Amino acid sequence: MTKRKYLHITLISFVIGLMLAVQYNTVKNPADVRDTRDIWEIRQELSEEKKRHSELLTSIRGLNDVVNKYEDAEFNNPEILLRDTVDDLQRQAGLLPVEGPGLTLTIKPSQELMLYGYQVEAVPPELLFRLVNDIFRHSGQYIEIDGQRLLHTTAIRDINGRTTINSVPISNSNVEVKIIMPSIELAKKLYNHLLASSFMDEFYLDNLELNINEVENRINIAESNTTLTNTYLVEKNKGD
Amino acid sequence: MWLPLLGLILGIGLGILTDIQIPAIYENYLSIAVLAALDTMFGGIRAQLQQVYDDKVFISGFFFNIVLAAGLAFLGVHIGVDLYLAAIFAFGVRLFQNIAVIRRILLTKLEERRIKTSEKSAESR
Repeated sequence: MTKRKYLHITLISFVIGLMLAVQYNTVKNPADVRDTRDIWEIRQELSEEKKRHSELLTSIRGLNDVVNKYEDAEFNNPEILLRDTVDDLQRQAGLLPVEGPGLTLTIKPSQELMLYGYQVEAVPPELLFRLVNDIFRHSGQYIEIDGQRLLHTTAIRDINGRTTINSVPISNSNVEVKIIMPSIELAKKLYNHLLASSFMDEFYLDNLELNINEVENRINIAESNTTLTNTYLVEKNKGD
Repeated sequence: MWLPLLGLILGIGLGILTDIQIPAIYENYLSIAVLAALDTMFGGIRAQLQQVYDDKVFISGFFFNIVLAAGLAFLGVHIGVDLYLAAIFAFGVRLFQNIAVIRRILLTKLEERRIKTSEKSAESR
């Protein structure tokens, strides 16, 4: 009797062990997820990566140029170059006015809807987000909306029903968006992209009319008038 | 005494060496079945220690619990209620209780043995 009992217990512990091991196997090495993308999807992903690759290469080339300039000017006058870099950084931070090729957009309330008595409302911040993101995605360099230069710290948001940029409310009726691009070709590209995009329809849904003006050779954007608060960096005295 | 342990080790070894895997959708059922099996095994050990072990109860309990747990999980999946949680809860609680009882019995036995040996040594003195 005891022998049979032990046999049964052994058998059952064998089954338990087997089940534990199978469970362990299953949890430890989950079956490979099958790749079900077709060649077209893979190509598309590849093209995205290629795009990033070329962007990285462009920025590497830019930095290499700076390095070369530094190396060339090492014996001549490094101060000029340093000044250049500082100017460049200040331009990026919005402390200096910039000019370059680009285009302007105007956002106005739609005329025919105004005749029917529709109310003029502020440009919704979501639309501006999308517009700005799209411009930056197409290598936009500097943007100004209704006199407010967009910086890295700029917030476009709704405060008490008014759309504000840098916490300054923008006007409801005639909003001018200035865009500076790195080159005239890119500006033309952006112009065509904006014309072909659905932005005009999107703005029209909010009773607004988006006009995309022709590319210009010279567009000026003033420096930002917001003060940059800086918590961690301390300015050293000159000559230190 | 060592035979069941040998069986367990043999089972684990065989399972790992053969690298058997089950489809991911049945993973839940297997985990519940493992829990049920562990519960039955500890229940068996407890019964043995309390001298109320019955072969029939043990074997039937093993298979019945597994089937019931897997069946509950299956039903739960089909009616959209996580019934397998009920099984996990029940088996988990019972597992802890069984282990606690086993621990107590072992402790009492150890204590008895200690007293016996001390008595023996006192007698021999």
